[in-house]
Amino acid sequence: MSHNDTIPLYQSSQSDIDEIENMMNGGGFQSGPGTVLPARPPSPTRPSIPVSSSSSPFVQSNLPPPPPSSSSSASQKVTPVPAPPSLPPSVNFGSSEGSKTTGFGSPPNTLTEPVWDTVKRDLCRIVSNLKLVVFPNPNREDPGKALRDWDLWGPFFFIVFLGLTLSWSASVKKSEVFAVAFALLAAGAVILTLNVLLLGGHIIFFQSLSLLGYCLFPLDVGAVICMLKDNVILKMIVVTVTLAWSSWAAYPFMSAAVNPRRKALALYPVFLMYVSVGFLIIAID
Amino acid sequence: MDPSQAPVENYANPNTCLFHVLFKGAALAFYILSALFFNSFVIIFVVTVLLAALDFWVVKNVSGRILVGLRWWNEINDLGESVWKFESLDQESLARMNKKDSWLFWWTLYLAAAAWLILGVFSLIRFQADYLLVVGVCLSLNVANIIGFTKCKKDAKKQFQQFASQTIASRFQSTVQSAFTLV
Repeated sequence: MSHNDTIPLYQSSQSDIDEIENMMNGGGFQSGPGTVLPARPPSPTRPSIPVSSSSSPFVQSNLPPPPPSSSSSASQKVTPVPAPPSLPPSVNFGSSEGSKTTGFGSPPNTLTEPVWDTVKRDLCRIVSNLKLVVFPNPNREDPGKALRDWDLWGPFFFIVFLGLTLSWSASVKKSEVFAVAFALLAAGAVILTLNVLLLGGHIIFFQSLSLLGYCLFPLDVGAVICMLKDNVILKMIVVTVTLAWSSWAAYPFMSAAVNPRRKALALYPVFLMYVSVGFLIIAID
Repeated sequence: MDPSQAPVENYANPNTCLFHVLFKGAALAFYILSALFFNSFVIIFVVTVLLAALDFWVVKNVSGRILVGLRWWNEINDLGESVWKFESLDQESLARMNKKDSWLFWWTLYLAAAAWLILGVFSLIRFQADYLLVVGVCLSLNVANIIGFTKCKKDAKKQFQQFASQTIASRFQSTVQSAFTLV
């Protein structure tokens, strides 16, 4: 009798079944505290439905008895408001810190965690995504591993920052510069992703958007440097270096996602977009 | 927290309700009133989109959890496929949720989306493409939240029905078995 695939919902019914089994298995065993029961996975102390991502995407969690600190956690929100959080948080049941579930023995769930924990978690994710994408990293060859927990907040802030920097550097038509930069980058990321999908590549839409946004970080740095020093030669050098860095960051992900014969078709538009942003940075005065 | 008094219940989480409405209202108000004070499109764009993004985060991560006990997110599993996950509290906790809170939650969500839609129509009529960009971004953030939470609610009902029928079946089974042992 395999207990491994049943979900023990109520402990009382399970122990009844066990007693019946013991009696059936042989009179030599006595049911009692000293018996060695057949091994089965420990049943949770209260009914719970495990997460199965293949069948239904739905998870039920239990709220601990009336949370008195829900209003205090809401007021903690006042400080983290200016912090950049991430769009869809991925849940790591083991790693959510400071969860408010009391000693029920169940895994901490993120439905009842304090607000500050959510913010911290999202901030850490942005930083780790940035490090993963932009800086050299052993896991780079597998696109599935890169940016596993994608988030769109990092890209959002990088795009806005780049637009603001360009707009600040411009002496005329500041609004147009900002709008053009933002629209170019946002629409460009979407179109590049669609391009890869239409070439028959296998990527996830949001993951790719997220990656293209994070790869803007070097160009952001370049734009700031160019804003501070107005020398044309310096600008060209800085832009070339940061452009190469951005392209290097985006290359493995994009190239691994498509058929090798179509690699150039997928990569060329990405390079083109970053080159045009580079020209924008140089040309602004 | 205000004590619940029959028959009228007060808000159980007034701070959360306030923040839920605050950022939405601030984004809409700033967008509408900014034309009177600021000439620069950049400031309008950045502040409005920032407020809308903060509102999105607050609704998704805080007020959704606290006011209606729902949450949704996206994960990429080991096969590299993207999976949308929906989470809710179990049924007793859901029943314990304050009615006024959830009424406020859902209605302000819908009203904000409708307001952005109307503003979008205005900017379309006036042929202002850049303001349409702002409205487009804010509208898409609101709509994303609406869709996510609606799916969550529907899945919660479906899951509860499945769970209830499973519970009844297993209880029935154990009752029958214990009846047989007694015989």
